[in-house]
Amino acid sequence: MTERETGKAYMHWLFQGSGMGSRGLVRALLQTGTPEEIYRLALSGHLAEKLTGRYREKAVALEASAPVFDVEKEYGKLRERGISFVSLGEEEYPKKLAAIPDAPCALYYVGRLPEHGRKTLALIGARNCSAYGRAVAGEFAAALAESDVQIVSGMARGVDGIGQQAALDAGGYSLGVLGCGVDICYPPENRRLYEQLIAQGGICSEYPPGIEPRSLLFPPRNRIISGLCDGVLVVEAKERSGTLITVDMALEQGREVYAVPGRVTDPLSRGCNRLIRQGAALVESPEELLRELGVEAGEGVSAERTKRAGILPGGRQGRVGKLLDYRPQTTEELRQRYADAYGDALTISELCLELLKLCADGYARQTGGLYVRQ
Amino acid sequence: MFSTITSGTICGIRSCMVQVEVDISQGLPCFQIVGLPGSEVREARERVKVALKNAGISLPPSCVNVNLSPADIHKSGTMFDLPVAVGIMAALSRLAPGAAENTLLIGELGLSGEIKPVKGVLPIVREAAAHGVKRCILPAENAWEGMLVESTESIGVSSLQETIEVLNGAGRQGKACAGQGSEDAVPPRFGAGEAVEESGSREDFADMRGQESLKRAAKVAAAGFHNLLVVGTPGSGKTMLARRIPAILPPLSPEETLEVASVYSIRGMLKPKWRTTDHRLMIDRPFMSPHHTVTGQALVGGGRIPAPGIVSLAHRGVLFLDELPEFKRETLDILRQPLEDRRVQIARSRATYEYPADFMLVGAMNPCPCGYYPDMGRCRCTPGEIRRYLRRVSGPILDRMDICVEAKPLPFCDIARHETGEDSARMRAQVLEARRRQTERFAGTKIRFNADMKAADVDKYCPLGGKERRFMEKMFASLQLSARGYHRVVKVARTIADLEGSERVGETHLAEAVCYRNMEVFQ
Repeated sequence: MTERETGKAYMHWLFQGSGMGSRGLVRALLQTGTPEEIYRLALSGHLAEKLTGRYREKAVALEASAPVFDVEKEYGKLRERGISFVSLGEEEYPKKLAAIPDAPCALYYVGRLPEHGRKTLALIGARNCSAYGRAVAGEFAAALAESDVQIVSGMARGVDGIGQQAALDAGGYSLGVLGCGVDICYPPENRRLYEQLIAQGGICSEYPPGIEPRSLLFPPRNRIISGLCDGVLVVEAKERSGTLITVDMALEQGREVYAVPGRVTDPLSRGCNRLIRQGAALVESPEELLRELGVEAGEGVSAERTKRAGILPGGRQGRVGKLLDYRPQTTEELRQRYADAYGDALTISELCLELLKLCADGYARQTGGLYVRQ
Repeated sequence: MFSTITSGTICGIRSCMVQVEVDISQGLPCFQIVGLPGSEVREARERVKVALKNAGISLPPSCVNVNLSPADIHKSGTMFDLPVAVGIMAALSRLAPGAAENTLLIGELGLSGEIKPVKGVLPIVREAAAHGVKRCILPAENAWEGMLVESTESIGVSSLQETIEVLNGAGRQGKACAGQGSEDAVPPRFGAGEAVEESGSREDFADMRGQESLKRAAKVAAAGFHNLLVVGTPGSGKTMLARRIPAILPPLSPEETLEVASVYSIRGMLKPKWRTTDHRLMIDRPFMSPHHTVTGQALVGGGRIPAPGIVSLAHRGVLFLDELPEFKRETLDILRQPLEDRRVQIARSRATYEYPADFMLVGAMNPCPCGYYPDMGRCRCTPGEIRRYLRRVSGPILDRMDICVEAKPLPFCDIARHETGEDSARMRAQVLEARRRQTERFAGTKIRFNADMKAADVDKYCPLGGKERRFMEKMFASLQLSARGYHRVVKVARTIADLEGSERVGETHLAEAVCYRNMEVFQ
């Protein structure tokens, strides 16, 4: 084991042994010496006396863990599982993250960490997003990925996961920051995304492997999401939501905040619209965002958009297509609106045929018995 | 001092003839009933003794043995009181010789000698007629049920004394009958296919404004007897829709009426008001709507001595399960066998009982606990809550839902609109026409409705043209249909084509059917 690896191994012990919520302890300890020195102190039972106050009790627990923890073997196990470990101060530790006030002392990660020097953007939003949020997140993420922007998010349900999936599908890089150990896929339905992230991007967490997801672990990880990025893009957020916690942290860390506006009647747009009122940059299209970021739009970004806008065929199918919206509608509503708009009644069978063709062409999507624009 | 009286009992939906053998001989006075009697049959002893005494017939102090043959079938119910009493009288030579020959007797006795109604008269009399029994003596209140069976004479009696008079040929036949029965010019029959005025209390589809898609789905479901699932926000008319479905189903055919009447008779639910003035039995299509706290046993039937459950009472009609996810999962899963086999089998150590259960399942549910998903502007549920809610309905049940529609409440402008849409009469006429096409198509097979087709039948009866085949291929690819989904879609498309009066299943028919495909898209 190289000297650097040994250092990492002792750091891993320090993390694993001191348990959760002990960033302060780790930081206090690191002021007394290197992780290896701390380990030796713990083995000899003189660690606790170096500390005062509330850290002392925790240090006693750390002392107890030292004799039973085989540092090199445990670190070997970690490496065997493909999990990497990087601590603050090391070369490969993300520079932007290192600069924030309460940067995590170390990160566990699988796959790759974001490259320094490339633009990095956090794409965050509501978990229970609407069809509109789904479409916007996908479109922005794909365009950003094609323009070589790295997408960081929390791999959560809704906007986070959809955006990351779209970025990966567009061949880009994406990093998922978890609120549990990197060996746990949470939420479980994002299994496919989790595996694709490992293969094509990365997964990272400040918590040691094996830590189960718990609600109190998620807010602190949000500071990592914003800390890793140049800016934060918000797609759909309710008035009081976790997304806005991330935005607050981003502002504290001096990151740029971008928001996609929504309808005023839509509770999922309240958060975004409020951010805009408070001074967040309003972005309506990926090109606009790329200009803001100072990135040249990748090939195919605008071509993709024009293709999308012009996809509607003519005739009855096109007329039905124009009635579709990001708000889900029943066949009954569409039939009524068709009659009102064109003065021509369609039978339910005919309408179904046109809707299915639109679905097959990828312009519309069926959720239950309702239809939305895609 | 021996006599035999013919009677009958119910086992499952079938009935079987029972010979009540009575022997009175010298010996220590006793009265026993053998032949696997249930406790209510065993109690007949006390009722018969007292009723005979009060009818003026005293039992001599002798040994009375009653055997119910065949002795290996469990007998329950109170219908053996009358045959036992008559058997004793015959054994005591109180009746004219041969008076009870070729006569079936059933009835419960009161202590005063009066005769009270019993359950299951109709199937027993049918069985008796099939065995060539000439005459059935029934409780006066049940006599009309017996009269529905043409090939035997049914006589209603209201007291033991009257029974004796009838048996001894005193001529006062059928005095207490409701209606004049077999002596009438018009023999009683079961409801025929033509339109007969039904009770006007049925709700009409004309009450549903707008909602043409929902009404259309109901019409398709009714025409092909497809199971229907209505998913929608609270107040969107799900229950309203379901309640109106029986009114557009074709009327029960004579055989179907007989099947339904038999189940009702066993449960003692057959009502005299269902007779029309010309002595037909007209039963509306059953509509059963159990509450979601219903137990599995109440739903499919059962009990120590099995009785038909709600699914059998819904036979040939509609079983409506409102708030589907609120039903216990186990309760819903019990429905899998009846949905597949169209009947219910209940196994007990002594016998296996079978009840018919060919019903149209109509389910209604909210898309999520709060009811507004996928309208994220209003839905307050978390994704986990929605998933848990939808998962409460098991896949196999959803799989049998041929048609799934989404209901949304009407906007105010539609509620205020005064025009009424299609009414039930018009919808029913279309359903009847579609039904006629199906009858022609499936003539000579066991299939009655499009929904009854198996996979092989689908290929046989619904061949697709080249254009339609290509359309389905495209749908398969883009919508990830399963093979099972394919057959379901084609079956429903066949019904839609029948409704439109089309011989061939066309692209638009398939498209509509694909739009009705099941809930898999939700999950």
